[in-house]
Amino acid sequence: MTEKLTLVSHVDAINWNRIQDDKDVEVWNRLTANFWLPEKVPLSGDIQSWATLTPEEQTLTMRVFTGLTLLDTIQGTVGAVSLIPDALTPHEEAVYTNIAFMESVHAKSYSSIFSTLCSTPEIDAAFRWSTENQNLQRKAQIVLDYYHGDDPLKRKVASTLLESFLFYSGFYLPMYWSSRAKLTNTADLIRLIIRDEAVHGYYIGYKYQKGLETESAARQEELKEYTFNLLYDLYENEVQYTQDLYDGLGMTEDVKKFLHYNANKALMNLGYEALFPANVTDVSPAILSALSPNADENHDFFSGSGSSYVIGKHEETTDDDWDF
Amino acid sequence: MEATVIEKPRTGMDYHSLNAMLNLYDTEGHIQFDKDREAAREYFLQHVNQNTVFFHSLKERLDYLVEKEYYEPQVLEQYDFSFIQELTERAYSKKFRFPTFLGAFKYYTSYTLKTFDGQRYLERYEDRVVMVALALAAGDEALATSLVDEIVAGRFQPATPTFLNAGKAQRGEFVSCFLLRIEDNMESIGRSINSALQLSKRGGGVALSLSNIREAGAPIKQIQNQSSGIIPVMKLLEDSFTYANQLGARQGAGAVYLSAHHPDIMKFMDTKRENADEKIRIKTLSLGIVVPDITFELARNNEEMYLFSPYDVERVYGVPFGDISITEKYQEMVDDARIRKTKISARTFFQTVAELQFESGYPYIVFEDTVNKANPVAGRINMSNLCSEILQVNTPSVFNEDLTYAETGKDISCNLGSMNIATAMDGGDLGKTVEIAVRGLTAVSTQSSIDSVPSIKYGNDRAHAIGLGQMNLHGYLGRERIHYGSEEGVDFTNIYFYTVLFHAIAASNTIAKEQGTAFEGFENSKYASGEFFDKYTDQEWLPATDRVAALFAEAGIAIPTQDDWRELKAKVQEYGIFNQNLQAVPPTGSISYINNSTSSIHPIASKIEIRKEGKLGRVYYPAPFMDNDNLEYFQDAYEIGPEKIIDTYAAATQHVDQGLSLTLFFPDTATTRDINRAQIYAWRKGIKTIYYIRIRQLALEGTEVDGCVSCML
Repeated sequence: MTEKLTLVSHVDAINWNRIQDDKDVEVWNRLTANFWLPEKVPLSGDIQSWATLTPEEQTLTMRVFTGLTLLDTIQGTVGAVSLIPDALTPHEEAVYTNIAFMESVHAKSYSSIFSTLCSTPEIDAAFRWSTENQNLQRKAQIVLDYYHGDDPLKRKVASTLLESFLFYSGFYLPMYWSSRAKLTNTADLIRLIIRDEAVHGYYIGYKYQKGLETESAARQEELKEYTFNLLYDLYENEVQYTQDLYDGLGMTEDVKKFLHYNANKALMNLGYEALFPANVTDVSPAILSALSPNADENHDFFSGSGSSYVIGKHEETTDDDWDF
Repeated sequence: MEATVIEKPRTGMDYHSLNAMLNLYDTEGHIQFDKDREAAREYFLQHVNQNTVFFHSLKERLDYLVEKEYYEPQVLEQYDFSFIQELTERAYSKKFRFPTFLGAFKYYTSYTLKTFDGQRYLERYEDRVVMVALALAAGDEALATSLVDEIVAGRFQPATPTFLNAGKAQRGEFVSCFLLRIEDNMESIGRSINSALQLSKRGGGVALSLSNIREAGAPIKQIQNQSSGIIPVMKLLEDSFTYANQLGARQGAGAVYLSAHHPDIMKFMDTKRENADEKIRIKTLSLGIVVPDITFELARNNEEMYLFSPYDVERVYGVPFGDISITEKYQEMVDDARIRKTKISARTFFQTVAELQFESGYPYIVFEDTVNKANPVAGRINMSNLCSEILQVNTPSVFNEDLTYAETGKDISCNLGSMNIATAMDGGDLGKTVEIAVRGLTAVSTQSSIDSVPSIKYGNDRAHAIGLGQMNLHGYLGRERIHYGSEEGVDFTNIYFYTVLFHAIAASNTIAKEQGTAFEGFENSKYASGEFFDKYTDQEWLPATDRVAALFAEAGIAIPTQDDWRELKAKVQEYGIFNQNLQAVPPTGSISYINNSTSSIHPIASKIEIRKEGKLGRVYYPAPFMDNDNLEYFQDAYEIGPEKIIDTYAAATQHVDQGLSLTLFFPDTATTRDINRAQIYAWRKGIKTIYYIRIRQLALEGTEVDGCVSCML
């Protein structure tokens, strides 16, 4: 890389007692409470279930996960970091550093899944596929180009589309397996990632909208057009990518609906109206319901750790509490 | 905001999708209950009916199943064929239908008899019920008939291992809940690991007490700093359960309990930390702690709490650490120079417990002194089980070097089964329902023989302990338009459990009279001394509210009077009771789905509950009796909050000899202090154990899945 590294030119000591935007604190608290590591999920519980997948299904699953690994790597090492220089508040910068770190945790999580379920030659083959698949590489290139571009708001658009849209062609598969009672622990881990990405996409989209407010009407129009153009570009490529992956198992139609659904969601995060009409976003209810990361799962000691525990807030008890 | 609206289902939608629509609102914002009923129907049409083996007659069916070694011939041989025919017709005449998809799905995936290749079904629900009744009644036609009536009507539901296995030729055990002591020597540790493997292989959940094991750094053969403490034992156990999990029909599962005053207590809890090192991290083993009253008192005074070396304590007192009342001996042990001790702040201890519960849901808590004060049987209770509802006395075993038993102690197994409160009230004869349930559970005990773990067999043969549970409290209250945890809700719980206790003792007394024997140690119990009955003969128990009095009157269920108790006391003192323990209220996962109940006596966790299980994936379950008109009575546990749950459990606890699995629910805005306050409140209200702590984090506004029922407050 020959271009010059952009860094924030001036830094003041960050004062969390002077908050310009409450959303920064809210999101920071949410992200830190949601901290997790892949080691917490008992992935080995999926070994038997993995063995029940056909070789085609296994290959598909591994390819999907290498694709996701690539996106998370981009987002962790370039995407979230590239947003820092344009941050509106110092706290926003801090939030991006958290996002960047968690993206790296996500990228590593897929390796945990691989090492638990697959052999080294299989893993290597899947990574080789990821470097050779044109649509995947093109997807990565489109996003990377925008991250290297010089328009901060455009970077946010690209980032939001990545967080809220591009991931989901991959997320579909583990959700599908979990709705079919397969790889349920892996699905728990993916749900933790989805829980994070949902907040990331929402937050970056929110910051985009904040930035947009200060722009001229003409510029607002330009950015809107840009957003939809980029979405079309990505969408076209994403359809190709989805066909590459899912045609063999006949799932492409349903995955596309899922793409539409999430494209609308990404646009919503950016403050725009939906693009795809309801009749092409009717994702299988089993997939949609599987997305909800909340603690309504009633699991017991037979059913794994679930995807809902958080790190608690400490508060000391006082003498009154012990008054008995 | 709404970017998308969920469309009406396409025709020919599969049952999985129909079921998932339960979790999505329709265009008018209503919960789509009809979609779940459709899912149940489609499940039969698309799947069950096509995959059920057809027989021309019952005779042909039974002959085939016996010949191919699906059914145990011994079970059928106890009856005339004509009786079996009548009983089967009787079961089918009740026109049983599964009201929910999950109920049907759970039954067919997990319970029903399948061909050996697992592809086709050999039983319908009624056939399973008949086989269970025939097996438990052991030739007694009247009992078999009553069991069929009670089970098909949904008033009594045997626990999973009994309902799953009874009558099958290739089967596991009827009981699945075991509790084992571990003593402070290598033979006992080794034997426990073997027992954990043996019991897991048979589909059991096993809890083990680690309290007696010497702490890290304790001497071995008087050489200092030798022992590595309890963590490596936990690791061995965790791996044992995981190993058995890969071969058994049901996952292996285990729990370990440790005294709060064991020196390794903090390390024990740290194994569940989010950032714990892989070498000490415990992922799948459940943890529980045993907390005496003194710990609360020390925390109240903001003092340090001493932790005592089990190695030294056993040498000083001559009994294992777990068999000592710490509250009683605390000062004495603090002052005894022979006992090594360390100290931590008592409040920090409680705060750490709460932190860990936030991160992992663990540890469970046993309030040791509350439990022992309420125990009517001679001996000491020092642990609980995987679901924290079994509370029974145990005694240590002594092993020879080759791991044979030099002296067989008493370990614990428990046969569970639960009544459905709503259908039991509707049935109108609560006494009979309880009696049949107690007889059914007693049969499980007398037919069980866990030969692989002699201490379990020894304990069961002498105690015949059973655990009659209850479920569907919230479903019943909701149907009757009573709020969970309200004055009427608590009042109902009190009178219901009071009445059940009376009938349970009466039934056990009848069995003792018939058998001519009581459980071993009856003569040393508070039942024999009559002390147990004081609170029922000295005090009148009546409904406090008109509503509850009316509910019992309308159902035609009599509430036992003081005279009834006096009469029962006399009979018990004359003939004894057959079962050392009678009641325990388990969390009821699977069986509450097939029985169309809310779990246990908990409030619902969500209006539409998401169930994740290995064999099922994600499936959605609506609260029983809930419809779009009575939603306000189906607040979920997070909305209801810990206090009302504790009040409800406290009302039930006073009439239950063992424990009740009690989960507390908090929003993620709660702090460790809120959890501590709930624990203190529970302890003060006489709660015996706390099971899981559940934290619910709602999606950040703007990130939720559109129109999803279980994602909304």
